[in-house]
Amino acid sequence: MNHSIFRKALSNPLALAGFVIIVLVFLLSMLAPFIAPYDPNNIDVKAILLGPSMQHWMGTDGLGRDVLSRMLHGGRISLLVGLVAVGISTVIGVLLGAIAGFYSGWIDTFIMRLVYIMLSIPSFFLILAVIAFLTPSIINIMIVIGLTSWMGVTRLVRAEFLSLSEREFVTASRTLGAKNARLIFTHLLPNSLTPIIVSAVLGVAGAVLMESGLSFLGLGVQAPQASWGNILTDGKEYIQFAWWLSLFPGLAILITVLGYNLLGEGLRDALDPRSGSH
Amino acid sequence: MLIGISLISFFIMHLAPGDITSNENAFNPKASEESRQKLREMYNLDKPVIVQYGLWLKRMATLDFGKSFASHQKPVFWQTTDKDGNVTKGLIQEALPITLMINLLGLTITLILAIPLGIIAARKYTGWQDRSITLFNFIGFSIPGFWLSLLLMYWLGVVNNWFPISGLHSLNYESLDTWGKIRDTFSHLFLPVVIPSVTGLAGITLFVKNGMLDVLQQDYITTARAKGLNDHKVVYTHALRNALLPLITIIGLSIPGLIGGSVIAETIFAIPGMGKLFYDAVLMRDFPVVMGILTIGSALTLIGNLLADVTYAWADPRVRRGVARG
Repeated sequence: MNHSIFRKALSNPLALAGFVIIVLVFLLSMLAPFIAPYDPNNIDVKAILLGPSMQHWMGTDGLGRDVLSRMLHGGRISLLVGLVAVGISTVIGVLLGAIAGFYSGWIDTFIMRLVYIMLSIPSFFLILAVIAFLTPSIINIMIVIGLTSWMGVTRLVRAEFLSLSEREFVTASRTLGAKNARLIFTHLLPNSLTPIIVSAVLGVAGAVLMESGLSFLGLGVQAPQASWGNILTDGKEYIQFAWWLSLFPGLAILITVLGYNLLGEGLRDALDPRSGSH
Repeated sequence: MLIGISLISFFIMHLAPGDITSNENAFNPKASEESRQKLREMYNLDKPVIVQYGLWLKRMATLDFGKSFASHQKPVFWQTTDKDGNVTKGLIQEALPITLMINLLGLTITLILAIPLGIIAARKYTGWQDRSITLFNFIGFSIPGFWLSLLLMYWLGVVNNWFPISGLHSLNYESLDTWGKIRDTFSHLFLPVVIPSVTGLAGITLFVKNGMLDVLQQDYITTARAKGLNDHKVVYTHALRNALLPLITIIGLSIPGLIGGSVIAETIFAIPGMGKLFYDAVLMRDFPVVMGILTIGSALTLIGNLLADVTYAWADPRVRRGVARG
């Protein structure tokens, strides 16, 4: 079932483009140590703020570091943060959603109340507050973004579980004496998998944007480690003399996030033709 | 509900290593342990956490969010009058109207643009108009708002010098006449208002389009068409109203995002609103301000959702009758 939906989605040119972008960006960042022309943290005072050229395709920054190399290495960090954060939020969301949807009753009420409370607090404020107090680091950012973005998945999984529990094959399995664990892991969870994947793909887009925003405010990935967000912060300082410092990291974020959004929406369309965003 | 929010915002503050006194210490390395202890006593920081929460909750019930640690003891929320009759304005009292104004203006622009775009996309579904709007939507979803702000700030503000790039007023604001003041404020607000509304456009447009597509498939639209009504009339009098109803809920739900998004926009353009206040407070570890804004921000969200529900009931007779019956 998953395979056919994936194939159906990729027959949509926009989703295919998204998939290609994701794979390309992933490969480029993973291979960064091998393909980056310079050491991303190598300071070269003789080459400060050089425009794009054959030696430095994307120019150099205020400390003479090669922007292309920093972009490639920064991509690893940005993607890592995005993927791990979504991993965390998906695990929490699936667990809570499954519990709420399967057991209903007071525990369901409690979890849904928690979801509602979390949704009412402006999440960017919450993330900022926590990160600033915990001292910013890559690990903290991943955890905090993950801990503040599980509500959507929880609702989704709960709804899936509630509607699947009504279906005949689940009732049949239950009548045959299947244990709860068996019901959850062989029937309910596998059948909710596709919407979970869709929301995770879209979640990566959100998390990458969130990381770049935090790093841009100086509360994300800390120098000298590069991330797309903090290269942009440097770019802000030099915007009058060095447009390349602001243009390239922003483009990289835009293209990457676009890739995840295109693929995610494509998958969602393939899953539910009625949602029709194309 | 509010208690849950207050609990979360309170305990986050106490996750933090260090407190205001360690900050004090950084500014004045000679501050003795004794004077730090005095400071802690002054702010009740020496009491157990649960007692601190109780005290805070008690004051919050009277809308007293305490005083800022960092900004010269200014009250966090609302103005206070001291015994000499001097009024000190509250931090949130000064910042909130600015943020609200920017967001309301932005939302208005978004709606004015998004509704027609959504209708066009739905009517020309899969045509070139629809395809270009869809592409635009995807880019709008994916573009980092702060990057767009930077580029436009550079291009419109620095290169062409069409718009001022920071603050709310020019330095000579006080000397301008009324018309000049309005123009000055307007040009300062232009970029901070327009940029978020352009990025917010994508979501609302998509929403209007999907709503329209849904409604246009309904039987009563077919009936109206079969009666021989022209297309224009069918779309604008029969379909539009029903397609726009769910928009009310979406706007209510988007409030936390709008408030949260104000941090980056206000920091970039140096607008003294809630976002900037929050960002500065976080950097200064100004607990009362951080907690105050988290609580007020969440309360605003709840009020927004409530307003959305009430408006929905007012706009949709089916819901109204349902409420009356139930």
